[in-house]
Amino acid sequence: MAEITTLNPTTPGRKRLASLFNNPMAMKELRSRMRGRRAFALLSLYLLALGGVITLVYLTYTTSVGMPGSTAGYTAGKGLFAAVLSVQVVLVTFVGPILTAGAISGERDRQTFDLLRTTLLSADSLVLGKLVSALSYIFLLVLVSIPLQSIAFLVGGLSLVELALSQLLILVTAVTYAIYGLWCSATMRSTLAATVATLAGTLFITFGLPILAFMGAFVLGTTWGMSGSTNPILEIIMIYAGLVAAAVNLPATLIVSEVFLLDRNTLFFTSQYVGGQNVVLFSPWLLFIILHVLVAVFFYRRTVRRVRRINDV
Amino acid sequence: MTAIIELRGLTKRYGDLTAVEDLDLTIEAGGVFGFIGPNGAGKTTTMRMMTTLLRPTSGEARIAGHSVIDDPQAVRRVIGYMPDFFGVYEDMKVWEYLDFFAACYDIPAATRPGMIDDLLSLVDLGHKREAYVETLSRGMKQRLCLARTLTHDPGVLILDEPASGLDPRARIEMRELLRELQQMGKTIFFSSHILSEVADICTSIGVIENGRLVASGNVAEMMSRLRAHRLITVRFMPGDAFDLTEAEVWLRDQPDVLSVTAAGDTPLPDTVQLDFGGDDAGMSALLARMVGRGLPVVSFSEERGDLEDVFMLVTHGLADENHPAT
Repeated sequence: MAEITTLNPTTPGRKRLASLFNNPMAMKELRSRMRGRRAFALLSLYLLALGGVITLVYLTYTTSVGMPGSTAGYTAGKGLFAAVLSVQVVLVTFVGPILTAGAISGERDRQTFDLLRTTLLSADSLVLGKLVSALSYIFLLVLVSIPLQSIAFLVGGLSLVELALSQLLILVTAVTYAIYGLWCSATMRSTLAATVATLAGTLFITFGLPILAFMGAFVLGTTWGMSGSTNPILEIIMIYAGLVAAAVNLPATLIVSEVFLLDRNTLFFTSQYVGGQNVVLFSPWLLFIILHVLVAVFFYRRTVRRVRRINDV
Repeated sequence: MTAIIELRGLTKRYGDLTAVEDLDLTIEAGGVFGFIGPNGAGKTTTMRMMTTLLRPTSGEARIAGHSVIDDPQAVRRVIGYMPDFFGVYEDMKVWEYLDFFAACYDIPAATRPGMIDDLLSLVDLGHKREAYVETLSRGMKQRLCLARTLTHDPGVLILDEPASGLDPRARIEMRELLRELQQMGKTIFFSSHILSEVADICTSIGVIENGRLVASGNVAEMMSRLRAHRLITVRFMPGDAFDLTEAEVWLRDQPDVLSVTAAGDTPLPDTVQLDFGGDDAGMSALLARMVGRGLPVVSFSEERGDLEDVFMLVTHGLADENHPAT
């Protein structure tokens, strides 16, 4: 029988990369997920549905506004881009985290978690393997939708910067939300509880926060309106608070960053006069990426620690 | 022989409930240790502490010299663990299942195919190599799980109720497999509440009751230590010249004979059972005197006690301790 051996010593960076591709958990999950007709059928159905949406959006724009080639083409291109992007947002915000929400709790439900914990597979490798396998599938779905999204290039209205920026934000969101789902999965006792907690979190960030932000803005606006006076400092604080709030939410970040790009013709910063002062404004995508990377690192570390822990009960 | 499993004062408490209390145990390399006790006695809790899955409240467990608390990864390297309830990845093929766990033990990819074939032939699943795990019977899954515990060639196997839920044939196959593993030099620590399972293959046993180890040691030693008396069945040749009542009266007066009763649940004619307090020499002398007296002895045999008797004796003793007669 085979004796225990260790991997060849390599540099830490290379070793980590090699471990990513040789991760037993990732290989196992991908093998199971991509096996048989199910994966092929799901992918085909997804593309068919996406193709249907794009056709519908294109026909709607061209029949109501006119033939492509004029400004109508620009509008149709924007519409197509927005439609595919919306599907991608749903994928990375809800589908990805749901896939990871069952990743670790599923091992508990299946009574295979203890078997894994008595092997030499480190908690880090287990969590990384689960993450890579879930993200691989989501990225595959995102990747196959890019050619459909690129139809917008043919009719006009989409720049390469818009496409690159949107896909960068989609990527960061996919990773962060998937890690959040993994953390819920490692923390909760059952897959059902983990899925509910994951969905509650992503729903709150996607819909709850904007509603709260609008309510807050409405209350403050009404209060200022009644007092009849405006405070420039408060106004600046409110603008920054709005940008920060937008940077927490993917749809808001996509929309506001697009506004910066189209109206201000800037990818990073712009300035605006507020109460006689020139205020520098930043495009929210920058803060969005910084915040999400920090959150991802935090939840990843918490997940690994949770999986590594020897049970006290 | 060197100790490969050492438990010192191992204790696990959940609030007020003590699941395992002050467990001391030493098992030598190459032995087969049967951990017996009723359900809820603390067998699984002890095994989970030994396999780094559960942190002891106090005390220490060392496997092959490695502490389960200070060096759990070294412990995992030397043990193969099979829990009482375990799941399998149903959507994997049998060879993929073993390949996955071998990869989890850092076995290089190049050596895995040969190792998998060896393991499958050991557990007699070679013909199921390409089958999906979901298509295997319960007994086959149990054997596959045992093969899984061997992927990294561990020295110590910790098996929690390895034959539970199996039909009689699968039980026998599992027992044969354990024997084969012992011959391969593995130390086997396994739990069971079915005593006949343990009696056949163990070199030593430990009896746990209410979280406390109430007896442990070599099987034969324990049986002779705990059984103070011997039970001898004597059958006489029936005939007009033989009077069984007279023979019983004579036997009662013999040295070391504590009682004479009719044999078995349904007394056989011309057969008696002696509760005998003497040793082998005493037994031999008694037989000689019976023959010398002209009693027509057809058979004279000692009833072999089994682990069930030992278990009942030990646990009854504990029950008496816990609930003294008023």
